[in-house]
Amino acid sequence: MVITVKDGAATDTNTPELLKRADADIKLPAAPHKPGSDLQTIIADVNQQTPAVGQRVVRVDARAHGLGRTEYIDDMTWPNQLFAKVKRAEVAHARITSVDVSEAAKMPGVKATLVGTEIPVNSFGPSYQDQPLINADKVRHVGDPVAAVAAETEQQCIDALKKIKVEYEPLTPIFDAIEAMKDDAPQVHEGKSNIYASKQIKKGDVEKAFAECDHIFEDSFNTQMIEHVPLEPHASAATWDVNGRLLVWSSLGRITLGRADLSRILQIPYNKIRVTATIVGGNFGGKNELTVEPILALLAKKTDRPVRHVFTREDEFLSSTTRHPFFMDYKTGVMNDGTIVARKIKIVCDGGSYCSWSETTMGKGCILAAGPYNIDNLEVNAYAVYTNKVMTGAMRGFGAPQVCFAYESHMDDIAHALGIDPLEIRMKNAFYEGSSSPTGQQLQSVAVRESLQMASERAGWKEA
Amino acid sequence: MEIKVTVNGAEKAASVPPETTLLSVLREQWGMTGSKSGCEVGDCGACTVLLDGKPVNACLVLAGQANGRDVLSIEGLGTPNNLDPLQKIFETHASLQCGFCGPGVIMSAKALLNKNPDPTRHDVRDALAGNLCRCTGYVKMIDAVMELAANNKSEAA
Repeated sequence: MVITVKDGAATDTNTPELLKRADADIKLPAAPHKPGSDLQTIIADVNQQTPAVGQRVVRVDARAHGLGRTEYIDDMTWPNQLFAKVKRAEVAHARITSVDVSEAAKMPGVKATLVGTEIPVNSFGPSYQDQPLINADKVRHVGDPVAAVAAETEQQCIDALKKIKVEYEPLTPIFDAIEAMKDDAPQVHEGKSNIYASKQIKKGDVEKAFAECDHIFEDSFNTQMIEHVPLEPHASAATWDVNGRLLVWSSLGRITLGRADLSRILQIPYNKIRVTATIVGGNFGGKNELTVEPILALLAKKTDRPVRHVFTREDEFLSSTTRHPFFMDYKTGVMNDGTIVARKIKIVCDGGSYCSWSETTMGKGCILAAGPYNIDNLEVNAYAVYTNKVMTGAMRGFGAPQVCFAYESHMDDIAHALGIDPLEIRMKNAFYEGSSSPTGQQLQSVAVRESLQMASERAGWKEA
Repeated sequence: MEIKVTVNGAEKAASVPPETTLLSVLREQWGMTGSKSGCEVGDCGACTVLLDGKPVNACLVLAGQANGRDVLSIEGLGTPNNLDPLQKIFETHASLQCGFCGPGVIMSAKALLNKNPDPTRHDVRDALAGNLCRCTGYVKMIDAVMELAANNKSEAA
């Protein structure tokens, strides 16, 4: 914009015509709507539904997938590449007294080894940086990394891992999340409480409502740990260019976060790191944080060669994140007609050995724990707890499926006990357009009633 | 050991240690990375190829066992401009999501249709039972195979 002074007053003379018009006056052309044409330009009309909805589209990656030509990391090679493997703990909880890689280093084909003390900042994590890349002091679950090797072939790596001697001083492991909350429970992270995150939601007066309601129902629900099992195991590769820039290829879903972590761990500037996201063969939340990328970077630095690593299926189960087991206690106050007046919930999320995305998962589980129902008096208390198991993190829904299993099972039990149809009790309590969520969010586009109605009609609920 | 295998119509030779699997010789020696390695224990089916026309998990077949035999892998089915009808219908049906299981699924479906051009839905489910898809896109895969079989039948009639 150019301002010129004319007759003593500043006048804008050069503003482009379009910018002078209010946005509301701008009429975009109606989108061409020609179903069946191969190429279609989709331009959204103002306040109009885009014509993309309801149309068939062909995925841009479909042809490569079907031809087997999609390049996942395991399908890529780097000139002069080395393979890496990670030695994993076979005990759940122990202090590491020594790690000896000297014999492994002499094995055929081995070009480098790496232990935890060689990592500049040996910790990472999306919420809390509580997870070492390679454990140097203690191990907290079976599968925790204790050393790594790089060799000419994968088999040479496997042979070398067997020569690594790790000595442990065993510690009492804790596997039960409820037990882990006790004051005298073994500490998974020394000097720190096993309860590492908590959240509370309070609305109305639950105790008063419990005293005044017609019925009180109480029950407990547990869910199990689940591994994502992406068909493509975690894979990554790293090398350094001649200008000292780190190049990483990874099946990681959050490369920006990964890049920041790499910068912090390796103590190199952010602009010296390039992370390439490759096509991912299934993530489901399990590929949302680093695994071995910094280890590969350091092995690549030591050897001046590209280093690649692909998890075995066993590695996936031993040392990638999983879905949290939830322990959930529900207490619900109900009137004779099925109206829910109060609900109190306690959730314990078994976080495994490291935080990963536990804080986020617990938070979302907490917000959604009461279900899509209008409950005036509500109290939810949630805790994330360390145990000596593989870490739990993000997985499809971030805690939503666990609490859904609990509140809907609980709802069925209440309906059955009161002799009310399970659909009817849900319709009686379900959110309306504009209802408030437990944390006070005014909800829009609320379709739970219509959805339930349509689902019950299509499933033939009334006839059954 | 020395092996000679007919892969997608072409003679291939390799010298490999005896423990080498057909999957690793395909992927690492002959550069055919279309067959995927998902578990290496025969659970996931991502490495399915046809050995003398029969679907096998290439991770469970030793390279030596394939010596002198005929292998059809995903690379032998079609090209970008000349897709196999299965590849085409998987594309239009959006039957593949992350795609990692895709080549194996298509090879299993190929083996089925070669043997049984008019399968029931149950036959298709049975033929794909050894192929895991963690995106859980099974319905669209089964739909695609059923539609292809129906199209073939109406063309033949």
